Amino acid sequence: MDHVKLVNDPIDIAHIHQLLADAGCGASSVFVGTTRDNFQGKKVVSLAYEAYDSMALKEMNKICLDLRSKWPDLKHIVIYHRLGTVPVCEASVVIAASSPHRSEALESVSFAIDQLKTRVPIWKKEIYEGDHVSEWKENKESIRPKRSKSAFNYAACPCKVEESHDVPRTLVQIRVNDAELTKRLECFVNRKRDEINSQNVIDFKSSFVNSDIDLSDSCARTQSTIIKQEQSNCHLKVRRVNNRCGPQQMEMRPNYELELNKLMGSRDGQTDPFKEMRKSLPNSRLQAIESYMCLTTDNEENIFSRIKKVENRLLQLESISPEYRHFTKLEPSSMELPPPKKIRKKSYSVPELSAFIQKIKEGSEFA
Amino acid sequence: MNADGPVVNVHVLFFAKSRELANTPRSKVDVPTKITASDLLDLLVSRFGLISIRDNLILAHNESYIDNLSDTVLFKEGDELAIIPPLSGG
Repeated sequence: MDHVKLVNDPIDIAHIHQLLADAGCGASSVFVGTTRDNFQGKKVVSLAYEAYDSMALKEMNKICLDLRSKWPDLKHIVIYHRLGTVPVCEASVVIAASSPHRSEALESVSFAIDQLKTRVPIWKKEIYEGDHVSEWKENKESIRPKRSKSAFNYAACPCKVEESHDVPRTLVQIRVNDAELTKRLECFVNRKRDEINSQNVIDFKSSFVNSDIDLSDSCARTQSTIIKQEQSNCHLKVRRVNNRCGPQQMEMRPNYELELNKLMGSRDGQTDPFKEMRKSLPNSRLQAIESYMCLTTDNEENIFSRIKKVENRLLQLESISPEYRHFTKLEPSSMELPPPKKIRKKSYSVPELSAFIQKIKEGSEFA
Repeated sequence: MNADGPVVNVHVLFFAKSRELANTPRSKVDVPTKITASDLLDLLVSRFGLISIRDNLILAHNESYIDNLSDTVLFKEGDELAIIPPLSGG
């Protein structure tokens, strides 16, 4: 049973015990809050309690409900709070619970007094000896006003976004939508994480890491090297980290050629007629790359000087953001140089040429 | 702030420090039927001279705390509002 009460007279602890008594309960826990006789060196004569009675009772009953949902084994719960003037050393609050076993009784009482101090609308004023002005107390647990960020009325101050197209093109590295930008950022973060992880391992290892070896269960510390200092007679071993492959020594140069090949989509040595066609036509893919990279070009220009321009542009972008290359999500193993690209001039026989022309005619709708 | 929309008359209860500052345990006040808690608090604070404790006050509407000042409160005639300074029970 729940016994919840606000009382104006001294609380009788023996009576509380009677309320708790139950043959099936092996434990009753009683917390008695009493008034202290001093505060910051001032002698307290008495305390004056007041409450928002109806709400206080409501909140105390809510605490009982909370306790029963948290500790279903509880038998009786008592929450008594005294109001009015309470002389020092007398009980101002009593919280008690009985249960078959002690842990529920002990824990629930402790929880309940915290809750009471937090949310039951009761106040006390300390009345001091002498001329000290009496003071309203504040529980540190007390419920406080919350101000969520959305309390700010954004609608009241409209924010004008200036649609400016005057940003110099050279300052704009990429123009993409949100989804693409998010993808790139994610990619960048993942890449950074991987890099840090791998370096954490590599830094403490004596030799270059062979990427074939699984590093997942290696521990950086155990693989550091112990080197006795040169000409040292000391019996102590000197621990050194052989940093031949730390970040400083990492090959920082990106592999442009591979990137470029990827962009160009060229797989050398295949005589796909469409590929040949693309080579012969003004190179639309290269044009697309150029426009993507904000390069102005002349179609009459030598293709190698155009590629050179693209390369320069890549270099420039990388100098602005060294991580640029990682947006392409290359696996580290693919960093090895591909075999140099060979440009072969093929000579065709007449039947081959006519077959080729036939193919172009058939595929004319693709063009 | 209550220039537009209907208003209702509600009871206001004061406790502890707020009761001393307002100089009364209860009063009545006209409030808009729909108002955000922070606007309501501002209205009550300026009406009853509670500026010195404004930031520590919490309101209770019909015996329930208004947990968040950004909440919107809907009033009916005769509702009960309580101005609750920091609690010190126990």
